[in-house]
Amino acid sequence: MSAQKAIDALAGQIDSTVASYLEACIHCGQCAEACHFYQVTGDPKYTPTYKMRPIDRVYRRDKAPFSGLMKAIGLAPDELTMQDLEDWSELLYDTCTLCGRCTLVCPMGIDIATVVRKSRAGLVAAGMVPEGLLAAAERAVEQGSPLIKPGVLEKVVAKQSAEVGIPIELDKKGVDYLVILSAMEILNFYEVIGALAKIFKQAGISWTISTTAFEATNIGYQMGSPDIARTLVQRIVDSAEELGVKYVISPECGHAYTALNWDGPNMTGKRHSFKVIHILELLEQLRRDGRVKTKGLDGRRITYHDPCQISRRGGVIDEPRSLIDQISSNFVEMRNHGAANICCGGGGGVSSNPRAEGLRIKAFACKKEQIDELGGVEALVTSCANCRNVLEEAIDEFEMDLPVVGLTELVAMYLDEGEKKPAARKRRKKAA
Amino acid sequence: MAYQMNGSTVEHDEEGYITDLGAWNKELADLIAADENIEMTDEHWEVVNFLREYYEEYQIAPAVRVLIKAIKKTMGKDKGNNKYLYTLFPYGPAKQACKIAGLPKPTGCV
Repeated sequence: MSAQKAIDALAGQIDSTVASYLEACIHCGQCAEACHFYQVTGDPKYTPTYKMRPIDRVYRRDKAPFSGLMKAIGLAPDELTMQDLEDWSELLYDTCTLCGRCTLVCPMGIDIATVVRKSRAGLVAAGMVPEGLLAAAERAVEQGSPLIKPGVLEKVVAKQSAEVGIPIELDKKGVDYLVILSAMEILNFYEVIGALAKIFKQAGISWTISTTAFEATNIGYQMGSPDIARTLVQRIVDSAEELGVKYVISPECGHAYTALNWDGPNMTGKRHSFKVIHILELLEQLRRDGRVKTKGLDGRRITYHDPCQISRRGGVIDEPRSLIDQISSNFVEMRNHGAANICCGGGGGVSSNPRAEGLRIKAFACKKEQIDELGGVEALVTSCANCRNVLEEAIDEFEMDLPVVGLTELVAMYLDEGEKKPAARKRRKKAA
Repeated sequence: MAYQMNGSTVEHDEEGYITDLGAWNKELADLIAADENIEMTDEHWEVVNFLREYYEEYQIAPAVRVLIKAIKKTMGKDKGNNKYLYTLFPYGPAKQACKIAGLPKPTGCV
């Protein structure tokens, strides 16, 4: 491996958008304060804009206007070395969750999170991807999921189907909706499958899960490999086309939504033949249309953790609140909730990277502060399986007593399925 | 590299995970545990047996986080937590318990 490959890969990521970002930084340092890794360490190397330095150096040396002249008179920055790349590997992979809080505060509108993600392509080319991420990506390509072996999905779905007493048909053609799931949901939070079955039955929605393209996570997207990212998106696109669905439901998983919905068509090179809808968008739509009815209110003091990719990057901010309002009588908001929320600490591939564990747990202090300020919170609701997993682990580590709940499951818990149709009709007659 | 047991040898990789999963039995588990400085108690066996059942079901050796959660779901909060499991397996509940259970090295999380 040589640094040249990494330099070429980085140069390949510099389009006009990235170039304008690199030109625009005024080094004001506001992004530092926005980053939870900087906040908990106070170490200036964690300043988000500093993480753009490797790609910036390639830009100024080889791509920027007059870079040839600057090189000739010795004013261009030094060429990147393998040592530089190694030094930045920690900064790019371990201490950036691609949460985009820096992007939000940047007065110049630089999407630092995206530049960091694109910069990872250089480390992919140099063979410096953290082992945990690389192995997960290989398994995703080879077996269809980083964690789920062939045949396991069928077992989990069958169990959930039996649990709620609703048939769930896999690979069913001609249905309207294709549900994809994250490996974490299938392994750890499988109740969500039963919850979806209950909700969709009430709403009269036809849906299926594909046995070849069930995995929503896109490790290629997180590790910065455009090829693997494309392969994984293509798999879902092919399956959705084959099954002839109108919608693909992006599940309670953060980056899956970003990868498939916002970047998917750019990766595959054509428009999706279906619409990508986030599960919370769909639930809220069904609630508004009166197709999903709930009964009763959760009296616990609950708050909502906004997953970065869904709220800040995805814009799905009002939907969870209106859903929670429907089923909760004691909902409180954290400071900086919504678009400015603080990351769980483990997005963007950080939770798959054992090397990053120490700092990830440490960074949870920022989140903990937000929760503690509210006082007496009895449950933390969220809508991303990775957030949930990371939060649960940190809560355990900090010895807090706080259950983390998925919003889809919470909605299903309060689903009004008490009365059968004839009974409901009778009651209505009486009332009339 | 191999474990020696009653005159027979069971191959393992450089980290001590046995390479032929079919070669596992309870005696071997005791032997691997001794190698890890662990004396097997009922509490240890509970986790090891759980892991073997888990592997049967999901065909993966779970990473620590997944393991803790799965244990919490079936055995409750008192056992499904970091502290308890690290007391039993000080060098990592997933890694050590998987090794003793004759399973492959745990698969990382995503």
